[in-house]
Amino acid sequence: MNSALLIGVVASSVMSGTSLLYATIGEIVGERAGIVNLGLEGIMLIGAATGFAATALTGDAYLGVAAAALAGTAVNLIFAYLVIGRHANQLATGLTLMFFGLGLSALIGRPFLGTLIAGLPKLRLLGLGIMGNPLLSFDVLVYLAVPAAVLVWWLLFRTTWGLGLRAVGENPVAAVAAGLSPSRLQYQALGLAGLLGGIAGAHLSLAVTMTWAEGMTAGRGFIAIALVIFAKWNPLWAIAGALLFGGAESLQLQLQAAGADVSPFIMNMVPYLLTLAVLIAWGWRRQGAAPAALGRNFVGVE
Amino acid sequence: MARKLFFLGLILGALTAFFAAAPLSAQQKPPLVVGAIFVGSVNDYGYNRSMKDGLDEMAHAIPGLKLLEAENVPETAESERIMEGMIQQGAKLIFATSFGHQQFAFNLAKTHPDVYFEHAGGWMMSHNFGNFFGATQSAWYPMGVAAGKMTKSNTLGFVVGVPIGYAIGNVNAFEMGARSVNPKAVTRVVVTGGWSDKAKEAAATNALIDQGADVVTMHVDSPATIIQTAESRGVYSIGFQSITAAQLAPKGWITGLGFTWGPFMTGIAKSVIAGTFKPAFVREGLGQMMAIAPFGAAVPPDVRTLVMASADQVEKGFNPFTGPVTDNTGAVRIPAGQSWGGDKMGNFDWYVDGVIGKAK
Repeated sequence: MNSALLIGVVASSVMSGTSLLYATIGEIVGERAGIVNLGLEGIMLIGAATGFAATALTGDAYLGVAAAALAGTAVNLIFAYLVIGRHANQLATGLTLMFFGLGLSALIGRPFLGTLIAGLPKLRLLGLGIMGNPLLSFDVLVYLAVPAAVLVWWLLFRTTWGLGLRAVGENPVAAVAAGLSPSRLQYQALGLAGLLGGIAGAHLSLAVTMTWAEGMTAGRGFIAIALVIFAKWNPLWAIAGALLFGGAESLQLQLQAAGADVSPFIMNMVPYLLTLAVLIAWGWRRQGAAPAALGRNFVGVE
Repeated sequence: MARKLFFLGLILGALTAFFAAAPLSAQQKPPLVVGAIFVGSVNDYGYNRSMKDGLDEMAHAIPGLKLLEAENVPETAESERIMEGMIQQGAKLIFATSFGHQQFAFNLAKTHPDVYFEHAGGWMMSHNFGNFFGATQSAWYPMGVAAGKMTKSNTLGFVVGVPIGYAIGNVNAFEMGARSVNPKAVTRVVVTGGWSDKAKEAAATNALIDQGADVVTMHVDSPATIIQTAESRGVYSIGFQSITAAQLAPKGWITGLGFTWGPFMTGIAKSVIAGTFKPAFVREGLGQMMAIAPFGAAVPPDVRTLVMASADQVEKGFNPFTGPVTDNTGAVRIPAGQSWGGDKMGNFDWYVDGVIGKAK
C-alpha cells in the first residue's frame, strides 16, 4: 500500500466513522439508562435534514449543527415521553420513531433539495489535522468526536450522575431505594442521546456529502445500534467500532478503485460481514455485559 | 298573488336556465390525464430532473393536459399503489420512470387494458406497455474522447451505482472513446451498490481521486455529490443524466450527457389522445433522446471540435462495439466482423481492455 492510498483510506475512514461514533455514543447513553432506541436512524435523518435546512437558510454551517442537535433532542424527548411517561413498548416505539423521522426529515428537507451549501469548513489552523498533512484536515465535528466519546465515558463512569444513570439501567428498584428518580434520569439520558444523534446526522449532510437526500443515512443508525453491542456499552470501545466500520467501508471502495479482483457485490458486503463476524466472535463473552434492565419499562415500586 | 307567482316562476326559470347552461361553461375536460412516478426528487440535477423536464415539455405542447406526479416513489409494491391511485384519478397514460418500477407497472397494465404505460430502461412489452430509453452506450464514446484529451494523469474514474449490463456498457464505450484519442488512458471503476447513496458516492469519488483519477464521471441517479466532491478536490468532472449539472463545477466541468425526453413523451401522449398508440421498444441516442451538455470553460477549442466530430459520427450510426473487441482479461468478446447492436446493450458482464475493475 503506497502512502497516497494509506492517507486516502485514513481520511475516508475518519469521515465515514465520525457520524457513526456520535450516533453510537448517544445510543450508549440511552441504553445505559435502560432504554433501547431503535429509532436512531430517524433521529439521524432529522438531524441531517434540520442541519441542512438551517445551513441553507442562514449560510452558517455551525448554526446548522446547533439546529440539528436541538431537533434531535426535541424528537428524542417525544420518544422519551412515550416510553417513560406512557410506558409504551420500547422496541415498537423505536421503530415507529424511525418511520416518523423518515417522514419528518423528508418534509423538512423538501424545500432544500438541490440547494448548494458550502458545508462545514475544514480546519487547518493551529496545526490541526493528522501530521499537518493538508489532505488529513477535517471539520470541527471530526476533531470533537473522540473527545466527545471520552466525555461521555467520563460522564457515565466518573460522575455521580452517570452512576445514577447506570444504576437505573441495571436495577431501577435499587435506584429508587437510593433516592434517585429513574424517570428523570432516563429523560436526561435520552435528551443527551438525541443531541448526539442529531449531530451525527448533521455531519453526514454538512460535511460528508454537503447535500440532502431523503433517507440519506442508508441504515447507518442501525449499524450504530449494532456497534453499541460491539462496544460492550462502553464509549471508548465505540471509537474502535466506528473506526472499524468506517474503515471497512472506505477500504472496500479504495480496493475497488485500486482494481481488486473481487466482485463488486462482495466488496459492498464487506463492512457488514465484518461487523457480523466481530459480533459473533465477541458475542460469546458478552452475556451479562448489557445493562440488566435494558428494554424493560419501569413502572414503579410497590 | 298572481304577481308573486309570476316573479317566482321567472326566478325558477332563470335558475333552470342558469344550471342548464352551466355545464357548457364549466371547466373543459382535459384532453388527457397523464401520471408519472419518479424514484427520487426532481431537484437532483440528474435523472429525475431530466424526466421532469421532458414531462413539462409534453404538458406545454398539449394545452390543457393534466399531469399527476409523485416523487420519491420506491421501487417496491408501493409504486403499484401510487400508480393505481393516478389511474383512479383518470390517468390514461402512465410514465414509470425508474428501472425498478417495471414489474409493478406491468402488473397494472394487465389489470387496466385501457390505460397505456411507458417504462424507462427495461424490456417488458405488451399491447398497452411500451419501453423507452436513451441509447446511452454509444453516446458515452464522445465523453470518453473528451476525458481522454483532458486527462493529464491518464487515469479516469467512473462511479457506477448498480453494475447492470447497460451501465457496464456505458463504462466500456467511455473507455473506448478515451483510448481512441489517448492510448494510455485507463478507467478505474468503483461500484457503490445503489443508484443513490450520497455518502458512499462521496467516498467512492475520493477513492478514485486517491488512485490518481483526474477526470471523474458516473452512472448514478444524481451526479451532484460526485461532481461537487470532484470540484472540491480540484479534478475534472463529466456529468450524466441532466445537462443542468454544469453549474455545480464552474472550474472542473468538461461536458456531460443529458436526456431530452420531451419530444418522445409528447409523441406518445398525442398517440394516446388520437387512439393510435403502438407499443414499441424505443432506444434513441444522440440527436434524439440524448444531448451533449455545453462545454466548461476549461475545455480548449480543439478538444471541443474533436468531441463534436465524434458525436456527429455516433449520430450517423457509428457503433463502437464493432469487433474485434477484447475484454480486460485478454479474451476476445466481440470477434472481428461482428458488432453488438442496441438489443445486446443489456448483456455486458465484462469490461473492455483498459478498464480496471471487476464486472461481476
